[in-house]
Amino acid sequence: MSTEDTELDERKIVTFTLGSRLFGIDMRSLIEIREWEEPTPLPSVPPYVKGVTNLRGSVVPVVGLSERLGWAPSELHSRSCILVVTINGRHAGFLVDEVQDIVVIQASEIQPAPDVEINEQGAIAGLVKIERRTHDAANAEAMCLLLDLDALSLTRQVPDFA
Amino acid sequence: MSDELDEIQGIFFEECTEGLAVAEAGLSAMAEGDASSETIAGVFRAVHSIKGGSGAFGHAALLAFSHRFENVLDEVRGGRIPASAEVTKTLLGAFDILSDHVAAAQGGTEPPADAAMLAQLDAVLESKGAVAAAPAPAPAPAPEPVAEADEFGFTPVAAVVEDFDPFGFEPVAVQLEDFAPVEPAEPAGWTVRFGPSRGALGNGGEPMLVIRELEDMGAVVTGVDVDSLPGLRDLDPEDSYFVWTLRVPGTVGEQDIRDCFDFVAPDSLIEIDREEVLVAIVPEVPAAPAAPVAEDDDGFGVFEPLPVPEELLTLVPLEPAPVVAAPAAVPAAAAEKPKAEARPASVEVAQTIRVDLSKLDQLLNLVGELVIRGSILSDRLSPADQERVELPELSRLTRQIQDNVMSLRAQPIKQAFSRVPRMLRDLSAETGKKVILETIGEMTEVDKGVIEKIGDPLTHMIRNAVDHGIESAEERLAAGKPAEGTIHLSAEQKGARIIVRVRDDGRGINRERVRAKAIERGIISADAAISDEEIDGLICAPGFSTAETISNISGRGVGMDVVRSNVEALGGRLEINSIPGEGTTFTMALPLTLAILDGMIVRLGDQRFVLPLANVIETVQPEPGQVKETSPTSEVIELRGQYLSVRRVGELFGMRSQRAPEDSLVIIVESETAGHVGLMVDTIDNRREVVIKSLEDNLHPIRGLGGATILGDGSIALILDIDALVATGGSSKYALKGMAA
Repeated sequence: MSTEDTELDERKIVTFTLGSRLFGIDMRSLIEIREWEEPTPLPSVPPYVKGVTNLRGSVVPVVGLSERLGWAPSELHSRSCILVVTINGRHAGFLVDEVQDIVVIQASEIQPAPDVEINEQGAIAGLVKIERRTHDAANAEAMCLLLDLDALSLTRQVPDFA
Repeated sequence: MSDELDEIQGIFFEECTEGLAVAEAGLSAMAEGDASSETIAGVFRAVHSIKGGSGAFGHAALLAFSHRFENVLDEVRGGRIPASAEVTKTLLGAFDILSDHVAAAQGGTEPPADAAMLAQLDAVLESKGAVAAAPAPAPAPAPEPVAEADEFGFTPVAAVVEDFDPFGFEPVAVQLEDFAPVEPAEPAGWTVRFGPSRGALGNGGEPMLVIRELEDMGAVVTGVDVDSLPGLRDLDPEDSYFVWTLRVPGTVGEQDIRDCFDFVAPDSLIEIDREEVLVAIVPEVPAAPAAPVAEDDDGFGVFEPLPVPEELLTLVPLEPAPVVAAPAAVPAAAAEKPKAEARPASVEVAQTIRVDLSKLDQLLNLVGELVIRGSILSDRLSPADQERVELPELSRLTRQIQDNVMSLRAQPIKQAFSRVPRMLRDLSAETGKKVILETIGEMTEVDKGVIEKIGDPLTHMIRNAVDHGIESAEERLAAGKPAEGTIHLSAEQKGARIIVRVRDDGRGINRERVRAKAIERGIISADAAISDEEIDGLICAPGFSTAETISNISGRGVGMDVVRSNVEALGGRLEINSIPGEGTTFTMALPLTLAILDGMIVRLGDQRFVLPLANVIETVQPEPGQVKETSPTSEVIELRGQYLSVRRVGELFGMRSQRAPEDSLVIIVESETAGHVGLMVDTIDNRREVVIKSLEDNLHPIRGLGGATILGDGSIALILDIDALVATGGSSKYALKGMAA
């Protein structure tokens, strides 16, 4: 908690996978990680909004992150889970394939993202190389795509209400 | 420090808003012929306190205007100017300018042009001479001397006696009457000593503001006592050490001087003395208590024996603004101030405390959670246990807490209506159309959140009514209508909805023109066959405006569009009814509360939904053949000889159900738009109060849903918005496609 103040350059990110790709989000946005549980479906919403779920008394939308980024929907399995995050004071849950780790990166290590093929402009804030916790020495380093949650805000997707 | 000052300013403006509301209510009552002394005194007090605060915060323009306004009000209050219709009209005009001044001071913008209004006020003041020659019957047995004592600051005291004697204020009255006859022969100057408390600067108390205000009244600083100034070593730059002595002309009222200290830290030194005591004693009333005055060095020792202070002082904390007066240094001040506080109490104005709305919301949320936990508990208990006395008792208590919390948020809709009279006066002036306002049901209580959000829609509707609906006086007379137009504004509670109507008796919607315009704007195609109602609805279409010229009142083509979206965002609906030549009615149907709903929980497949109980008329278990197909996509149910259209809720949500009608239930619901309609569901679970969780908190509103709720088992049920659902027609026009998953 206190490290973010003392080491301005240091950031904690939570890494997770979607298919073969490794993603990271800023730890400060994360509220909790919960097991996948079928949400209550909603009418009139884009397909990537899977529905809503009860997060300690508030109704939180659950988004299939993979579809949100324009890829094939994640397949559900035992390690599927929901990352509950806060975006500008609003909460949302993202369905991801598998949560990997919490790693500390230096802001200076973040490289700008080259064109990444996704349907949401600016959703990828940058790329960073991280050490993987693995015994496979040949594969110890991995590229992690840092997500810009603001770009994924659901309220920006208001269809044509009002 | 500036933050604190901002905060205190915030309180001041909050009080201004309240004061303005009080003043407007009073003036409106006066305009309707209620010229009772309480009403007038109420207006006076409101304006007076605005003046007091404005001085303290250095809003010079506001101070100057409210001061002149107050002068006239004071005369009216004293009965020296009759509260005639003419005078009241001027006062109302002055009130409008005062509101503008407050708004300008708050927004930091240019103060409004008030010269014309001031001239009118002065004219009223001057013409009073003629009126006073034939003194109007005094509203209270106030003797002349009391009125004249005004200059010496005793008027407020006298007013208390006059105005509130009948309200059980005898203890004060008696004491003060003893004092009232003390009439100084000629105005002597005041010596004011002012020493801010040590911590005053730290608390945001700027002595300069007070001194400047006194100087504005003609005061001169005659000396500064620097005795308590310590050596440089011990000097704390944030402490105040000085005591200023000022000489204030005798023509200034004591109350006016005291008002300057309204926002001074309570433990500051404030002494207000007559310079020379030129007190004549009118030997009418037992003069004994007055005698010491002449010798008494502070001149106000007489106030000390008042039995009032202690009891009244307890009321002081009710006033959130920093309260003046150093009780020890100036007993008079202590007595004076609480009296002012106590006045409202004496007319049985409810005692109130200010609570941050977010705290109420939090409380409401917690109660909501409590309700949910209660249901969970009840669900988990065996039927035998559910019957135990404790459980119903607990839910009854919970229910009561809930009702109470809800009522805390409920406010009379009057708050939203109160800005209308002012608006109409402005509109009348701009358009030259005379409009009478009739209000019904303004005490209807609505959730505060709703009130806050209907202000804008209401403004737009009224503007539209005046600008487009009501005709010019000539046109009206030619049509055989009274020259003055009428706008009816009404609110009523109907089930779980609040119905707010704005009805005018104008020319109605010109459908030909609306249609032509809509075609011109490309909103509809030239050959579209649409009903009258649909044409009326077009005025709410985005970008629609029929006004030939864009006036600054309406006609930018945004108004009604905004109205509709605001109302819908609140979970309400807007309806328009127009009869050519007779007028137009706008009806807003709004949810009573944004928080809790009495609902019926129904099941469709494995999902549960909540139907607002307010819409439910009856439930039917259809016999085989009772539900008939009229087309492949529509069905009707025959009910006591009537055919009602039936919608399968599952289909509306894109879930194809193969259930036979006789295995389902048909719930007959009433909708505002489509009358009675049957909704087919699988089963009914139970009836229960649910806490509405809005979808837009974390997502966005979804047409057809009024929100979601969390059921006893922690799962989510969506709340159906019957009207929106039914209005979509048989087709799933609002494409509930996401449901397929």
